Amino acid sequence: MNYPFWDIDIGYGIIMAAIAVIHVFVSHFAIGGGLYLVIAETIARKNNDQLKLQFLEKLSKFFVLVSVVFGALTGVGIWFIIGLLNPAATEVLIHNYVWAWAAEWTFFVIEIIAALLYFYGWKTLSAKNHIIIGWIYFVSAWMSLFIINGIVTYMLTPGDWVVTGNFWDGYFNPTFWSSLWLRTGICIMLGGVYALFVASRYKADDFKKRIVRFNSLWAIGGLAIMIPTMLWYVSAIPKEIVDAALEANLTPIKAMNATYIYAAFLAFVLVVFGFLIPKKYNIVVGVVAMVLALGWFGEYEWMRESIRKPYVITNYMYANGIDVANAEKYQEEGLLESIEFQTADKPADLFRRACRSCHTFDGYKPLKPAFDGTDETFIAQIIMGTHVIRANMPPFVGTEEEAQMVASHIYKQIDKRHISEIYNLDGIALGKKVYDLRCGKCHIFGGFNDKSETLLGSTEEDLGDILDMAGDFADEMPEFTGDEKERKALIDYIMSLNEKEKN
Amino acid sequence: MMPDSNFLSTPLWLIEILHIVTLSLHLIAMNFLFGGIIILLFGNFDDKWNNPFVQKYIKLLPNAMAMTVTFGVAPLLFVQLVYSKQIYAASIISGWLWLMIFVVVMIAYYFLYALSFKQTTAIRQKIYLSIAFACLLYVSYIYSSVFALAEKPDLYKLLYAENQGGTIINPDVGSYLFRWLHMVTGAVTVGGFFVAFIGRKNETAFKVGKDFYLWGMVAAIATGFAYMMGLGELMKPFMKSPAIWLVTISFILSLGSLHFLFKKRFAIASSMLTVSFIAMIYTRHVLRKLSLVGFYDPSEMTVRIAWSPFLFFLLFFLLMVATVWYMLRLYFGKQE
Ligand code: HEC
Ligand code: HEC
Repeated sequence: MNYPFWDIDIGYGIIMAAIAVIHVFVSHFAIGGGLYLVIAETIARKNNDQLKLQFLEKLSKFFVLVSVVFGALTGVGIWFIIGLLNPAATEVLIHNYVWAWAAEWTFFVIEIIAALLYFYGWKTLSAKNHIIIGWIYFVSAWMSLFIINGIVTYMLTPGDWVVTGNFWDGYFNPTFWSSLWLRTGICIMLGGVYALFVASRYKADDFKKRIVRFNSLWAIGGLAIMIPTMLWYVSAIPKEIVDAALEANLTPIKAMNATYIYAAFLAFVLVVFGFLIPKKYNIVVGVVAMVLALGWFGEYEWMRESIRKPYVITNYMYANGIDVANAEKYQEEGLLESIEFQTADKPADLFRRACRSCHTFDGYKPLKPAFDGTDETFIAQIIMGTHVIRANMPPFVGTEEEAQMVASHIYKQIDKRHISEIYNLDGIALGKKVYDLRCGKCHIFGGFNDKSETLLGSTEEDLGDILDMAGDFADEMPEFTGDEKERKALIDYIMSLNEKEKN
Repeated sequence: MMPDSNFLSTPLWLIEILHIVTLSLHLIAMNFLFGGIIILLFGNFDDKWNNPFVQKYIKLLPNAMAMTVTFGVAPLLFVQLVYSKQIYAASIISGWLWLMIFVVVMIAYYFLYALSFKQTTAIRQKIYLSIAFACLLYVSYIYSSVFALAEKPDLYKLLYAENQGGTIINPDVGSYLFRWLHMVTGAVTVGGFFVAFIGRKNETAFKVGKDFYLWGMVAAIATGFAYMMGLGELMKPFMKSPAIWLVTISFILSLGSLHFLFKKRFAIASSMLTVSFIAMIYTRHVLRKLSLVGFYDPSEMTVRIAWSPFLFFLLFFLLMVATVWYMLRLYFGKQE
């Protein structure tokens, strides 16, 4: 942890997603669009189809601007942002994969030059040479996907690399091929959806009918590749990763399901408007299809990023930049010791290192509502047990004293009134809130680490005993440190569930 | 045991060569772009905004920008490989300002494209170009300040202790003001060369280029000298390093290239300029090492040679050179 921590008010997840989603969208589109252009051009030239050639020339103007300017610069943006948000992980990627990054760059150079020449060459190059440049563009763009794909998939499924440290073991990892073909399908689909968007603004004549049909067929072809390869990709993710997500972190599972829904809607739009009534493919439909494609992609990337939790590089580095190899050492010797950049406020330094990269106090994934109305002892014990909370968080790798320090830092910022006052609750409703705050982080009735069997079968007296002994059940489980009022409300709440169960 | 990531998989010298080569390409493109914009804005062309030479140069600017960005990626990668700790630390201290670079570049791009697509009124052209200029000036200043900060581990630690929000700029302006001005005036100089070369058949354009080449060089020598004088403790080791010879050689070569440019002997002038340019970049490289003495020595980094990934890169690198050459030949060569 040789790096300063960039402490900003915006959640890391938000700022990363904002740049990354735009970039992946544009960069995949830049590949699929390239293939679309060159194939469509070849066909149009063969048939001497001037209208279509005009359409393509127009398309390529915006296309080049988007890929050369937006694609390249958001790519640089990602490069900048990962260095700011997670320098430790970026360092690992650079050191292990510098030659892959460098190889990707060689294709990037070809791609940019080819894009510019293709664009300027409509009038000046012969048909044959123009098409050759178009192919060079597409192949180099796809090759840059091929190369970067090894690094991106390595982060989720580093495979044997974690043991051998061998470049190729991590590079051609278990999800490499499925991801490559899946992304190729995405590229093709996006190229088609984009060409449809441009065509949507054309007036509804026979040319529009022809071009919309062609473009829809293209996009459907992309979708047709995506469906089996997505299934292949998901099945290539090691079972323990998927199981961990299913158990504790439903975000990626929800995102995965959302991709199926988006794909279904997109297929519907493409078949109906694109194929059956192409003249009706107007700008609204064009935008809707773009939004659906973007939605699909956003959910897919969200799944890929969130299923990796608690790691940034599976089994090697936690998402907060802490290396798994040294976790035990920090736990024994203290985390603060290893933080090279410190301020006068040590608890804040620890908090930043341990929690801040995923949480804010009251913005993105806020901690305030999770702790408002509780006490410092409770917070400290929760910190020692973050890895058993229903969220696939990394463990806190510091000493108990340090957990106490982090707790004092959090405690300073929360609402210190009584829970009943903060939320204006009483009786059973108060009890439910107490449960949510003090137990629900780790036990959900009918869900994650369910304790209904024990709790719902108990008498009031048993429940009192359970609360008294709460700290003894497991190292990670906190004692019950709420006051009499909370205690009574909690017991009443559980008893009320008990009643319901019986009826 | 988990694999350790703190290593180089090829010898350091190989990475340094690649770094210097790609950085040179980046800076040449940048000088064409940035120096060119400055000259267009401040140069004395007849009927400037309708001048065919000016219009021709304006049309080249977006491409120069594309090349600047493209060739900037590789040296950034290599420098981050060797100096990851220093560069990440310094960029986090100025986090927001650093991140804004790519946004600002996008703005500059937009205006350059707007300019190049179709000719607009004189006043519009002036405004657009000025915006692009301001954007690039910002980028150059942030780069200078962040990279200068990266050479001062004590300072960035201190700064971090006071502000963690990434909103500060390297306060030790004295350590990089002349360094930055040297880069800017150097860009004007090389820009002058390009203007003179592209405008060689147009007397006013050639004269503007030539003048900027001359006065830019004078300014670059002055700021370079001021920067050297301000090196303080680094002065002594610097004087003892081979870099001082390189500075001398590049000084002489620059003057030589001036002479030949005036005579429109571009081939020899540009060769001299290129050698002098690379010598300067190497000098920069030596200075960075000197300023980090006592904190970090890249030659102590673990080297675990693994050639296959490098060969993987080399293969594609050669392919890149061949493909780009082939495409340029298709484009600029005779059309069938
Ligand atoms: C790798 C990222 C990550 C790190 C690091 C992390 N968390 Fe979390 N945490 C999460 C996620 C994701 C959730 C689930 C949030 C949700 O469901 O909305 C979560 C949930 C929680 C919750 C439960 C919120 C609730 O619903 O009551 C608490 C409490 C919490 N984290 C505390 C911490 C503390 C304290 C730290 C530092 C010691 C920490 N977390 C570090 C990602 C992280
Ligand atoms: C930080 C996470 C955490 C919190 C908060 C937490 N527990 Fe637990 N709890 C655990 C762990 C870990 C275990 C033991 C291992 C297991 O069964 O998962 C456990 C075990 C139990 C058991 C064990 C009985 C059995 O049948 O195995 C009960 C009952 C229980 N908890 C109830 C509660 C109640 C009531 C609360 C709120 C006052 C609570 N827990 C809060 C983590 C937590």
